[in-house]
Amino acid sequence: MNHLESFLSWATLSFEIVLCGFVFSRKVQRILPFFAAYACVILTCTIGVWLTYQYFGFTSPPSYYAYWGSILLNAGARSLAIAELCQYGLRAYRGIWALAWRVLTAMSVLLFARAAMDAWGQPNKVAIYGATLDRDLSLASIVILAALLLIRAYYGLALEPLQKSIAIGICFICAVDVIGNVILRNLFTGYLFPWFLTSQKALWPALRPRIEHVVDMWSTVHLFSFMFAMGIWSFALRKPVPAPSKSPVLLPAEVYREMSPAINMRLTTFNDRLVELLKP
Amino acid sequence: MNDLSIVILLAIALSGVLLWLVIPRRKSARTTAMSFPPNGNDALPTAKHFGYFPQIRQALSAADSHYLQEIAPPHVAKQALRERRAVARGFLKGLHEDFSNLARLGRIIAALSPEISRQQETERLILSLKFQILYAFVWLRLSTGNLPIEQLEHLTGLVGRLATRMDEAMAEVSALSAGHVPGGLGA
Repeated sequence: MNHLESFLSWATLSFEIVLCGFVFSRKVQRILPFFAAYACVILTCTIGVWLTYQYFGFTSPPSYYAYWGSILLNAGARSLAIAELCQYGLRAYRGIWALAWRVLTAMSVLLFARAAMDAWGQPNKVAIYGATLDRDLSLASIVILAALLLIRAYYGLALEPLQKSIAIGICFICAVDVIGNVILRNLFTGYLFPWFLTSQKALWPALRPRIEHVVDMWSTVHLFSFMFAMGIWSFALRKPVPAPSKSPVLLPAEVYREMSPAINMRLTTFNDRLVELLKP
Repeated sequence: MNDLSIVILLAIALSGVLLWLVIPRRKSARTTAMSFPPNGNDALPTAKHFGYFPQIRQALSAADSHYLQEIAPPHVAKQALRERRAVARGFLKGLHEDFSNLARLGRIIAALSPEISRQQETERLILSLKFQILYAFVWLRLSTGNLPIEQLEHLTGLVGRLATRMDEAMAEVSALSAGHVPGGLGA
């Protein structure tokens, strides 16, 4: 581990401790338990990986597995935090929620199935497998968050500031992860692939500096993105978290049943008139 | 385009969409289900632009055009025509706003309803998308002078009837909510 990596590791750890401190001092676990768990998982993984580095050495196989294991554990915890964001505040709007959860679940199942299938076809190497799975899970996270925010914006149901900051932070981490994992995976499956083949042992000494350089670069970008996201979350948590908004008072069901078809009919007529206008 | 470019572009595009969605916009321009006031007419003025139609119709009338072409010098008449088209575009924009208010009203009612129809919601989404495309075409044709200004009259007539009906509907919704819920819709 060089000086930069060492500095970044300590800085990340500091950010994570500050974030966890804010999360528990603001009692975020009461309103967003999965996000609180995600913050804890991030901190635990960092400490776990750091201890593995200290005990087994930075370039040892256990450190390698611990790093990729922590990446996948983080992705799992992040997925749960996103699921929590999806249902937060939207459940109270029973009609919209009935529609939204089906759409979001269908999208999640499709994207996770795609991620599993994509990872299944990779060479049986942890780094390639992990990079592929992390890339697909990050992409799935961005798509699901985008769908959630689109649904909310469409129906005029804005996220509260804290939840919005959490969404921005997760989105930023995922976007950097997707880009980084695509580059990393392409390098591993491209000209660095002999590194993973025992039949190419003769090339290993020549490839080692390149592999280390690539891993260092990725690690630096990954840690910076993490710190940036944690900065966003900590900034949002600097003030006490406001009490969750009260459940909305819903209209009687017959209002929708009567008015929605009427509105749609008017909109259709309006479009028909526009089409007529455009006819030569 | 390879796998790398596609994924990078997708990630950037999606992040852009997310940022666009989370950046706060002017509050006055947005009416949300959560801030829906008891008097719906205050929240969604469905007939705001239609109210000016008589004046606009006069300003854009064919008689005015002919009169201008007969008595004004060519460059003045040309400039007047250009300005008339700009006014027509502005009016079309206003009508777009009226239409958006109507569609938003539909979405707010859906958001506040305990049960909604998937078919109705899909239909409204498609109608709104279709309207955006058609509106762009009409705007383009109006800007390029390929659409007679007088044809707008048909459109505004429709919006006028629609606005009147929606004002009635809003009053019905307000009355209904007042009957069922103490404090009205936005309680």
